[in-house]
Amino acid sequence: MRRILQATAMAAILAATGGAASAQDYTIGISNTVQGNGWREEMICAMKAQALDSGQVESLNIAHRNTDAAGQLEDIRNLIEAGVDAIVVNPANPEGINSAIKEATDRGIVVVAVDQAVTEESAYVVSNNQEEYAYLGAKWLFEQMGGSGDVVYMRGAAGAAADDDRDAGFRRALEEYPDVNVAHEVFTGWQQDQGKQQMLDYLSTGIPFDGVWTSGIDNVIVDAFLESDAPLVPIVGADNAGFVGQLAEVEGLEGAAVTNPGSIGGAGVTLALQILGGETPEDRIVLVDPALWDNTTEEGRAQIEAAQNPNLDPEWPVSVSIDGWTTYTMDEIIACKGPGE
Amino acid sequence: MIRQLGKSGWVLGLVGLLVALAILTKAIQPDFSASGFESLARASLPFAFATAAMTVAILVGGIDLSVASMMAVASVTAAVLMDGAGDLTAGLVVAFVLVVGLAMGAINGALIVITRVPDIVATLAMLYVWEGVALLILNAPGGAAAPWLRELIVGSVVPWVPKSLVFLVVCLAVVWVPLKRSKLGLYIYATGSSELAAYRSGVPTRATRVAAYAIGGLFAALGGLTLTMSTGIGEPIPGPYLLAAVAAAVLGGVVLGGGIGGLLGPILAVIILRLVRMDLTLASVDPNVTTIVEGTIMVIVVMLGGILAVKGRQT
Repeated sequence: MRRILQATAMAAILAATGGAASAQDYTIGISNTVQGNGWREEMICAMKAQALDSGQVESLNIAHRNTDAAGQLEDIRNLIEAGVDAIVVNPANPEGINSAIKEATDRGIVVVAVDQAVTEESAYVVSNNQEEYAYLGAKWLFEQMGGSGDVVYMRGAAGAAADDDRDAGFRRALEEYPDVNVAHEVFTGWQQDQGKQQMLDYLSTGIPFDGVWTSGIDNVIVDAFLESDAPLVPIVGADNAGFVGQLAEVEGLEGAAVTNPGSIGGAGVTLALQILGGETPEDRIVLVDPALWDNTTEEGRAQIEAAQNPNLDPEWPVSVSIDGWTTYTMDEIIACKGPGE
Repeated sequence: MIRQLGKSGWVLGLVGLLVALAILTKAIQPDFSASGFESLARASLPFAFATAAMTVAILVGGIDLSVASMMAVASVTAAVLMDGAGDLTAGLVVAFVLVVGLAMGAINGALIVITRVPDIVATLAMLYVWEGVALLILNAPGGAAAPWLRELIVGSVVPWVPKSLVFLVVCLAVVWVPLKRSKLGLYIYATGSSELAAYRSGVPTRATRVAAYAIGGLFAALGGLTLTMSTGIGEPIPGPYLLAAVAAAVLGGVVLGGGIGGLLGPILAVIILRLVRMDLTLASVDPNVTTIVEGTIMVIVVMLGGILAVKGRQT
């Protein structure tokens, strides 16, 4: 796996250096509003690694904290004041930060939104397709349950835009399977400890159910089943290293991982650099569609096997790179060093 | 007289700190200009109103942990009602949201007075209640804000006088100045200083507490409105305003326990804390270190203030 990655990285570097005439010294600002979450930390590391690897970035200016859309407006405006050339932002929600984005683009700063889209027309977007993410996993799960039964629906954070998009995808799948009921719906807040406790609580009620859909808080759910000696049911999660490991190793676990690469952050940096270099993409919005790896088919098992990576933090997604978008190596993203560090 | 001097001494100290930080900002970013100050003033708005709400609750001898949740309720209420509404309707919505804020605060106060549950516990419970209410009104970010309302806080009247700062000063002054000069203002300070002494002097302490919390609710509603005004939407998940408000109130010279402090100090403290955040971003400090820096500054300033206060009393 690593060799393949390195090879693709090499090829991409060659392609990139062939394209860009000379190295330039850009300053890139980053704004993110969730701190201390494995997925977001991988995103930040991907941004740092890609900026370093591109050789075109002199420094990164990272505003990375837990806040709301109003706080992100403040961060983006501060980055504008800091005089950055481009801003890569994981938006708190699709509309709330439009005014600051407009102010940035009016000043000639390139703005790229990653992970979630923004409605402001002057910004570019590289995003994971969140609705498709939920639909794909839910459809597989309902199929696995034989098209009927009770499902435990473990959502993300109440009121978050990504959770709302995923809910739309989940409901779409639910409509296609009228015999599937949502037995229990909870918000994990994308917190490992909270999600695990919720599953332990529900298991202890003894109410039978036939499947679990999770919004990425996955490995602790499997842990909850194992610790309470409960019979396993099909579980859908994200491609977090811990869960992908369980799909390969835990006996009797039927499950599927839906990819949701945090390395989208690196793709955002690449796109920003391309635009700064004068190459504007044809479409304002680039959507990265998720893939599903299940451990019930030969093909899926092979993908899970290939994705194993014990070096990663269990909360990090295993898809640490995106073909054609990122050029850093596995070691570089794990090292998590940006330019000048 | 001495106490008056001590009080303005604290405010003067904060002004000095603000000036020092402004010089530092100019040193880090030589291009810093009126537009940067405008951003700063806009970023301060929700924090300033949250802090005002917290300050009133602390002055009366309590604390209101539900400030950020009340702001969320106000924000989503405004965003939902203004969605697709005309200019005139939007004006009515603003008035309605302010009434909702007063009502939420009054409910908090009444709950404390009637049940005799300590303020900190009652408002902690209400934190969850208002959070749930906000999610019931709007389960995901959405809604809209009237354009004229959004324009109120964008840009400057003249350079270095941002509209958002004018908005803040006007809103706070309209509520606070008459209040402080009224009997109710006196009652709030008296109740906060010593509830028993105030009661024995004939102050209707229970009604005063409810009124103080209601005014806090009004400020929280204004804070929620500024969130909707700046983002153009309503967000049901409360932002990071609760602890920031407590910190700014304390940094601004309001004594936890009640009765001592004003509104000018805490508002200056809000601007100082936002400027610290801006400097940390301008200087590109490691994001994982920034919160440590913010916390450390707060502790040092409050500690220095405490030492100076003790020294002042001795001489």
